[in-house]
Amino acid sequence: MDSLPAAALCIEHVSKRFGAFTALDDINLAVGKGELLCFLGPSGCGKTTLLRIIAGLETQSAGAVIQNGRDISRLPPMLRDYGIVFQSYALFPNLTVSDNVAYGLVNRKATRPAIAARVAELLGLVGLPDSGGKYPAQLSGGQQQRIALARALATSPGLLLLDEPLSALDARVRVRLRSEIRLLQQRLGVTTILVTHDQEEALSMADRVVVMNQGTIEQVGTPAEIYLDPASPFVADFVGKTNMLPGRVLAGAGLRIGEMVLAGVKGADGFAPDAAVSVFTRPEDVVVRPAGDDLPNSIPGVIEHIEFLGAYCRLAIRAEGIGTTLVYADFSQRGLQSLKLTVGTRVRVALLEERVRAFARPQPPA
Amino acid sequence: MSAVLSAGPLTGGEVRQQVHWTERIGHLALLLTGVFLGVVLLAPIWMILAKSVENRDGDFVGLLHFTGYFETPALLQSIWNSFWLSGLVTVITVPAAFIFAYALTRSCMPGKSLARNVALVPLLAPSLLSAISFIFWFGNQGLLKSWMGGHQIYGAAGIVLSLCFATFPHALMILITALALTDARLYEAADSMGTSTRRRFFTVTLPAAKYGLISAAMVVFTYAISDFGVPKVIGGNFNVLATDIFKLVIGQQDFSKGAVVAIMLLLPVALTYVLDMSVQRKQQAQLSARSVPYQPRPARGFDLAMAAYVWLVCLLMLAVLGMAIWASFIKLWPYDFSLTLRHYRLGLIDAGVFGAYLNSVKMALWTASAGTVLVFVTAYLLEKTRGMDWLRPVVRLFAILPMGVPGLVLGLGFIFFFVRADNPLHFLYHTMAILVLSTIVHYYSTSHLTAVTALKQLDAEFEAVSASLKVPFYRTLARVTVPVCLPAILDISRYFFVNAMTTISAAVFLYSPDTTLAAVAILNLDEAGDIGPAAAMATLIVVTSIGACFLYYLLNRFFERRLQVWRRPAGAV
Repeated sequence: MDSLPAAALCIEHVSKRFGAFTALDDINLAVGKGELLCFLGPSGCGKTTLLRIIAGLETQSAGAVIQNGRDISRLPPMLRDYGIVFQSYALFPNLTVSDNVAYGLVNRKATRPAIAARVAELLGLVGLPDSGGKYPAQLSGGQQQRIALARALATSPGLLLLDEPLSALDARVRVRLRSEIRLLQQRLGVTTILVTHDQEEALSMADRVVVMNQGTIEQVGTPAEIYLDPASPFVADFVGKTNMLPGRVLAGAGLRIGEMVLAGVKGADGFAPDAAVSVFTRPEDVVVRPAGDDLPNSIPGVIEHIEFLGAYCRLAIRAEGIGTTLVYADFSQRGLQSLKLTVGTRVRVALLEERVRAFARPQPPA
Repeated sequence: MSAVLSAGPLTGGEVRQQVHWTERIGHLALLLTGVFLGVVLLAPIWMILAKSVENRDGDFVGLLHFTGYFETPALLQSIWNSFWLSGLVTVITVPAAFIFAYALTRSCMPGKSLARNVALVPLLAPSLLSAISFIFWFGNQGLLKSWMGGHQIYGAAGIVLSLCFATFPHALMILITALALTDARLYEAADSMGTSTRRRFFTVTLPAAKYGLISAAMVVFTYAISDFGVPKVIGGNFNVLATDIFKLVIGQQDFSKGAVVAIMLLLPVALTYVLDMSVQRKQQAQLSARSVPYQPRPARGFDLAMAAYVWLVCLLMLAVLGMAIWASFIKLWPYDFSLTLRHYRLGLIDAGVFGAYLNSVKMALWTASAGTVLVFVTAYLLEKTRGMDWLRPVVRLFAILPMGVPGLVLGLGFIFFFVRADNPLHFLYHTMAILVLSTIVHYYSTSHLTAVTALKQLDAEFEAVSASLKVPFYRTLARVTVPVCLPAILDISRYFFVNAMTTISAAVFLYSPDTTLAAVAILNLDEAGDIGPAAAMATLIVVTSIGACFLYYLLNRFFERRLQVWRRPAGAV
């Protein structure tokens, strides 16, 4: 398990079964104090179930949840220490913004002026100092989500849970709120768990990302580790665009892809020589030159298609010796023009050894 | 990590969460309502089943009463009468209501909302009222007796006519909803392919309304077969199951045979209910959240024809309603048509019958308040709290079961249950409380479904957020859920009030001399030949119901203005 000095939250051997279906299978995880940890995965991977178990809204079938050294596995939500923000905001429509934010404070027998001061402080914190008298329906979606955040933070919880908080917002608001939430979280230093299916959101906000799939953890790592050094084909494929090329293992952690030979490839040493593997590399790490250029250790191919993506273009190249799999390579507009690459151009393709990783080839379905 | 060892659940067995004491309050409340509904619903029905196989001394006699029943031709005739009569009412009412609903949803005729309100008026009157009106129109001394061509209105004809009037709004409401649900995009698709109007009706409109039609037919049939007031007043010597029960129990004091007939009545109604439930489940699956409502376009000929039909129906409705009201002011029918208040003054107040009206109002107020609280809190506990998972399906079942029990059967079961001196609840016998209780149970299901629908529209995470903020559920119930659901709560309360004012079926077995209700008084006045005061009492009920509806309307508007500023978007404040 992780060797973080002060774990604010530990998940130990947590499993959740619904009848015969296993939603979570022996999950182990530690969240550091002040860390923003992100559960990332496709819908149905168990990330929301895990969050709800941490919140006490669901009960795990087995395993323990430890918060600050205290076993909270069996505590009802009322006795746990966390604030939560849902995708739907769940703001009380008949209460003003101030009353919403003060909802958890009123119960703590604080004095009226103290509550009012705290509400004002929180509204300032989320950048909506003048909205206290309004009703939620009078605010935009992004503003409502910020109020929901202020309400969750009002009681200064030791743990902040965010369940797909930005998914209901439109793209521009989402991007802006991402960095706002992250800044706020860092400023307050509150330990935070964010659930999302949006890999961009996860990579841009999190200290560490937990990639989940079918009730298990595929990889835990910093955004850079997840992106550059995925631990499984699933992670490679789910986070960012990826190439998965067919290759064969050579002795000494080498790889052959068509005519191309790579040495010292990560992951290749785990296979017997001549084993068939999938070769992972990102499109931006694929080198492409016109056929006439001298590109050592490369394979020939033809540009079959160019997809325009605004800031850059993605080439689809049919390369020799790798069957029907297309090689994807990203190019800036300028690079494309200077090399005079268009559909039909004959090219040579090379891979960067240090940016390549070998995985077991998935068995074709019987 | 010692924590792993102390957690312990790794060795097997599900982890069970502790229950917070505030949640225990909810569990206790849910358990109490479950026990309550179980006792007041299941015990009476069980008593009927038990009575049907016992003799007067309480000894078990097997199916003796059933064989006796099936050997009595007069009683068997009643089964047949009840069935064909209810079938006929269904066959007349459902198509008539369908055309009416079609006009309101698919034409551009003027005055739709007025027409709709007129057509719903029978809901505000006891079913008896239509029977009394038809006697004034076509009875022995009726204005239009000559139209009967020597036939009698007393009997099947009068029952069918009266029940068509009484059931029409029930069918209409279901069919308006069914037709309004149709997706406009289907019509656009049909039109874009050049579909003829006729074909469009049979391929788009009818299939979409299919489940509504079935549902309406079931509701009308159930209403007609279980109604007691109409055949009692206008049925003459024509016997049906409902009047048989009354005669056997009240007239001959033959409780066992009464129980047998009650079972005969319960069976078809329960069967219809089960069918209707399965049909409604299918209809829910058919709905898509993104349907676009249909907007009719003007078509002169069609709109005129529809308007003519609708206003004709409304005219008939008003003729029935108006006759009872008018007749209540007539000095001496049919000899002296001058207007007077003597039926109210002499016939009701001086005759000491006016107390029945006050009883009804009192009963309706109790039902409207206690019933609404019970229904809403139970629905809230079912929908929004956690834990006690074994109990929830049971309480849910109890909540929708009353719809499948005719009021007459429920009332009979109540009396069997509460009359026993060894029952700890015996003290309720012959009180106002037992009338309130039976009325709440009788009309529980519809109210429950209204509450559940309203609660389901709320954000599902309100309770989770509250728990995370350490606010107990009852506080959120009071501060958020109730204010947001206020329109639905008022709806439930109004429904209870109006039905408590007009109901007769369960009450007819349960009233005491001190707790006679207005609708029961109509029955007794009619039996004594005091049809003028009977009409006056019916008029009082209708006026009270209309007044209550208006009051609820004002209340709703008041709350919308004062408390629901938050519904309006920015700028409107």
